[in-house]
Amino acid sequence: MKRAWAFAERNVKEVLRDPLSYIFCIGFPLVMLVIMTLVNQSIPKESGMTIFRIDRLSGGVAIFGQTFVMLFAALCVAGDRSGSFLVRMYATPMKSRDFVFGYIIPLLLIAVIQCAFTMAASLIISLITGVELSIAGLLIAIVVSLPSAVMFIGFGLLFGTLFNEKAAPGLCSIIISLGSFLGGIWFDPEMTGGVLLKICRCLPFIYSVKSVRSAIALNFGYEEFWLPLIVVIGSAIVISALGALAFRRRMRADLS
Amino acid sequence: MSAVITKGLTKRYGKKTAVDHIDLEINDGELFALLGVNGAGKTTTVRMLTCLSEPHEGEALVNGHSVLTEKDAVKAVVGISPQDTAVAEKLTVRENLELMAKVAGFSKEKIEEKVSEMIECFDMEEVEDSRAKTLSGGWKRKLSIAMALISEPKVLFLDEPTLGLDVLARRELWRAIEALKGRMTIVLTTHYMEEAEMLSDRIAIMVKGRIAALGTLAEIEAIAGKSGLEDSFIEIADRAKGGK
Repeated sequence: MKRAWAFAERNVKEVLRDPLSYIFCIGFPLVMLVIMTLVNQSIPKESGMTIFRIDRLSGGVAIFGQTFVMLFAALCVAGDRSGSFLVRMYATPMKSRDFVFGYIIPLLLIAVIQCAFTMAASLIISLITGVELSIAGLLIAIVVSLPSAVMFIGFGLLFGTLFNEKAAPGLCSIIISLGSFLGGIWFDPEMTGGVLLKICRCLPFIYSVKSVRSAIALNFGYEEFWLPLIVVIGSAIVISALGALAFRRRMRADLS
Repeated sequence: MSAVITKGLTKRYGKKTAVDHIDLEINDGELFALLGVNGAGKTTTVRMLTCLSEPHEGEALVNGHSVLTEKDAVKAVVGISPQDTAVAEKLTVRENLELMAKVAGFSKEKIEEKVSEMIECFDMEEVEDSRAKTLSGGWKRKLSIAMALISEPKVLFLDEPTLGLDVLARRELWRAIEALKGRMTIVLTTHYMEEAEMLSDRIAIMVKGRIAALGTLAEIEAIAGKSGLEDSFIEIADRAKGGK
């Protein structure tokens, strides 16, 4: 693990020294929180639409932000593969698991920081708009968002391993779009019902959003919190395992 | 003792045989040059000797360890500076060196000591806090070699270390490589005649994946019946290609 930590430390520095990390991982979610809060102010109360109210918006934006961590994971892996830096590292006694942990750990750290920023901004917005938000709920939400972060990092690892620097971000964009629209971040699929709701329920994104929103609301019922969280944990295990497996196979192919 | 021994080492890419049954014996502490034109099989040979590529046939022992069955042991005793300067671009010179020292498993004190030693050895004090992406080609090559050296390898592989460098940077790097002579076994690939002539104890001329000639400069000249490495190389390469 010592080697994995050394590699993780390098990846943390690489990501933190890229200005785009701040724009996409921190700035963009905060901007979305502010814009959507302004949109919410313009929605007549009689409409009964609460999706952009800060108590519901913060969970959605937290997951939306994680999709950009996925993009960074993909860029990090694909970028390393395109140069000869990984060749040098392959010639050391590092194993594929060291590389995988070395990519996942720093991005998970960034996802936690990002979520903490989103929750802190949500708290400030809630104080301004007069919507009640529990600090305990926000703190629990940061922890609950971890499996979802692992899932998105797993997607990034998978795409970065299988595709090059040009193709990987394109595929990430598809997941960002799917996550945004079919995850119930910007609209409530329960309200639309039908085929769209069925599609949403077949994908893990809606469960990510639901589990974090429930945590913020301190609603720990089985249907609202535990079931979505179990689905997200399962998805995180499967997708990150696929990413790790793909990296291992790619490393073996590179060394054949 | 021999630092590197290869027996019938072969690598194929599809129908093309990149390295064709080469037999080599590189002595401990020697600076050995693999000289050849582009595509001669030099880099493929280095890749196999550093466990970056699996041989299709044959065997190689590095510091007594098999590249086929003792990969971890081989990786623990080799250092490589690849053809492209393989450095972490957003890290500083010092951080790049620290990374490699940590990966080598050194203690905190030893990391500090080795990093300072490398910075001093390659006169990198003025750039130690500069990010790698801002360095000139010459500095990047120096850093790349220092990164390969920091793990205290028994065998150091330098793959085209001066490729693309201007004449001043090349001379400076030659001085750095010369200073390493005798401290470890160095295997250097190059297509610059003067580089092989200046630095190496023995030279192997590779043509189309085979060792066409091997020996000291004087022995190579005797084999070719020519004076100077360049003329000898052309003669031997022509003979190997069946041109004469």
